[in-house]
Amino acid sequence: MRDQLLLLPGYLLAHLQLCLVALAIGTLVSVPLGVWVAGRRRLEAPVLGVASVIQTIPSLALLAVMVPLLASLAGVASALGFQLRSIGPLPAVIALTLYSMLPILRNTVTGIAAVDPALLEAARGVGMTPWQELLRVELPLALPMIVAGLRTATVWVVGTATLSTPIGATSLGNYIFSGLQTRNNSAVLVGCLAAAGLALTLDQLIRVLEVGLRTRRRAWTAGAAIVLLGLYVGTAFSLIAGSAAGRAPVRIGAKTFTEQYILAEVLAQQIQRETGRPTKTLASMGSTVLFDALRQDEIDAYVDYSGTIWATIMKRHQLPRDRGELLEQVRGYLDSAYGIRLVAALGFENTYALAMRNRRAQALGLHTLSQLARVAPGLEIGGDYEFFQRAEWAALVKTYGFHFREERSMDAALMYQAVAAGEVDVISAYSTDGRIASQGLRLLEDDRGVIPPYDAIVLAGPRLVREEPGVIAALRGLAGAIDARSMRRMNFAVDDAGRAPAEVARDFLTTRNQPPETASRASGAGGVSSSSASR
Amino acid sequence: MIVLQELTKRYADGVAVERICLEIDRGECVFLVGPSGCGKTTTLKMVNRLVEPSSGQVLLCGEDTRQAVPFELRRRIGYAFQQVGLFPHLRVGENIAITPQLLGWPAARVRARVDALLELVELPPDEFRDRPPGALSGGQQQRVGLARALAAEPEVLLLDEPFGALDPLTRDRLQQAFARIRRELGVTVLFVSHDMVEALLLADRIAVLDAGRLVQVGTPAELLAAPANRSVAELLSTPRRQTQAVESLLGGAA
Repeated sequence: MRDQLLLLPGYLLAHLQLCLVALAIGTLVSVPLGVWVAGRRRLEAPVLGVASVIQTIPSLALLAVMVPLLASLAGVASALGFQLRSIGPLPAVIALTLYSMLPILRNTVTGIAAVDPALLEAARGVGMTPWQELLRVELPLALPMIVAGLRTATVWVVGTATLSTPIGATSLGNYIFSGLQTRNNSAVLVGCLAAAGLALTLDQLIRVLEVGLRTRRRAWTAGAAIVLLGLYVGTAFSLIAGSAAGRAPVRIGAKTFTEQYILAEVLAQQIQRETGRPTKTLASMGSTVLFDALRQDEIDAYVDYSGTIWATIMKRHQLPRDRGELLEQVRGYLDSAYGIRLVAALGFENTYALAMRNRRAQALGLHTLSQLARVAPGLEIGGDYEFFQRAEWAALVKTYGFHFREERSMDAALMYQAVAAGEVDVISAYSTDGRIASQGLRLLEDDRGVIPPYDAIVLAGPRLVREEPGVIAALRGLAGAIDARSMRRMNFAVDDAGRAPAEVARDFLTTRNQPPETASRASGAGGVSSSSASR
Repeated sequence: MIVLQELTKRYADGVAVERICLEIDRGECVFLVGPSGCGKTTTLKMVNRLVEPSSGQVLLCGEDTRQAVPFELRRRIGYAFQQVGLFPHLRVGENIAITPQLLGWPAARVRARVDALLELVELPPDEFRDRPPGALSGGQQQRVGLARALAAEPEVLLLDEPFGALDPLTRDRLQQAFARIRRELGVTVLFVSHDMVEALLLADRIAVLDAGRLVQVGTPAELLAAPANRSVAELLSTPRRQTQAVESLLGGAA
């Protein structure tokens, strides 16, 4: 819990930045737009319609779609001479801004339309210009309505901003995503409570500001305005300070499962130890989002798997016979096509494998995938979010002729619980998962050799390769450093023993750098060797 | 002071006001009367350009109002109407202060003017200045509306049934207050009313409109003595009959 709370200032600040920027832009766009379309029948319906349609897009999808959208604009932008980042805060802010617009826009239109026509006649009668009419009569009278919309938008945006994590923007969602994956309930709880607290705080600040304005309580207005302005100035200052503070950190990405969180920490801490460069970990990103981000130098390094690159990036099907040969082909392809360097193979494989409960497999007499295919029509299979969309699954279906009674996509962490509880019969497991042993699962043999080798490989982006040989060298130091047993042990320490990925990574690197005799003692203590002992 | 020349307003579905000519002298109070839809409100609003004339013109102190900037014109002309339209988010004093503030009067002069006007419409300033308009009775709101129209010391006042929708007692008191204020300020007034008694009691001259045309203009006595046609006579018949009925009742009681 204390570990989690140490992360709070950073996550909260990043979350606040996203929300405040999105809400400010959302308000500055929506209120004038609302005023402009109010009462113009031809414009009002279409504008509100578009805003409603945006609102109906699931928020996670809206955030996710910004990434390819911005990526496709990146070329245009660079031609115009500026750089457009398609992952990170920019797509998050754009999506959140769009998301904030409907309530503000709709309430502005309603508020302006509800102003008594007699008051408008009076306003003109006393000699107001159209602008004075708007600023002195229409807007003040519509203010409570507009503020109600702004408050709705605030609560939505603060909540939705937790979904910016998968597109590379740090937020309170980092707690929630990594907490769910690593079954760290206190992290999930901290994330939820902090987001709820932030939403309530901002909501009340705006309420106090509005009531203060309406009832002319100077102290209320001034107090709330100072706090809100302070938040804006504070976040703006930290943004500027962040970008001005020397060299940017080396950014390490991670996909959305435990092994990736641990490996991202291993990479980050290795770089810190060897080069003293600051690092930043962007966890819980989608698999292809990560590769695109690396390609465009929006992250600097991450760990992928040779078979994934082979199947989803190179889109090849015919497998080379040999694990080493595949690695060489991937290395050559990434370098020539993208300028991405395959820095090191970590030394273990994490293949997709189909797994069943030992007892169930025994009862059905199953050892291989060919045998599984025969009984598949009576069974249900569960896979992570990507699995059924992946080329490997297509290849499995094509080769073995799988036809399951039902295919169910679910969270990777829940998948193991589902198979253990007998809710699905087969799952797409990862071969390094600590839970294969702990849950009594059997991996079925890929007897026709469809699933490619999945060597864990450290990939470095073009910028890092060009500009930071020291970092590359540090990463190369990890070559062959982790065998499947160590990886499984580390996964288990996080998934089942409830330890933090950063802590497990720290223990691993410390043990590894110690002289052999102390190393064996430390590893003898196993998962219990606490971070305080290794510090 | 005010000259209407061939003033006409056409809408897509017909003519609202047709070629009205009328001259109003400085300090005079002229009533526009006639049945509903006869064009009296439209005529009034063409004077301060809340409605733009289709043709014809309005001269104000000999100056063509088409040459003026509309909002500047309106700041020189007081305007009060039946719905009053007091701004609910402003206090009574602030409602009255609007036009002087728009004209950039110094704050001290605005304050003094607001208090003087509240006195004039018989609302004690210390009691009413800081009240929200919503807390006022209908009659009090009409008084504030009149004060607001007078705020920037206009030479011309346009009133569109300013005492409508009030109970008879309040209405009578406000009419008497209005007569007194007009005498004190010497302001020129164009007054729209559908109440003939009000017109007969307060007007210097009455202009009778029917279906967008000016039918007759004259003093109350002239109209009573020689109505130009049947419709004018009908308008006058109600007050005449009521007066006779009241007189006979009074005679019977004496």
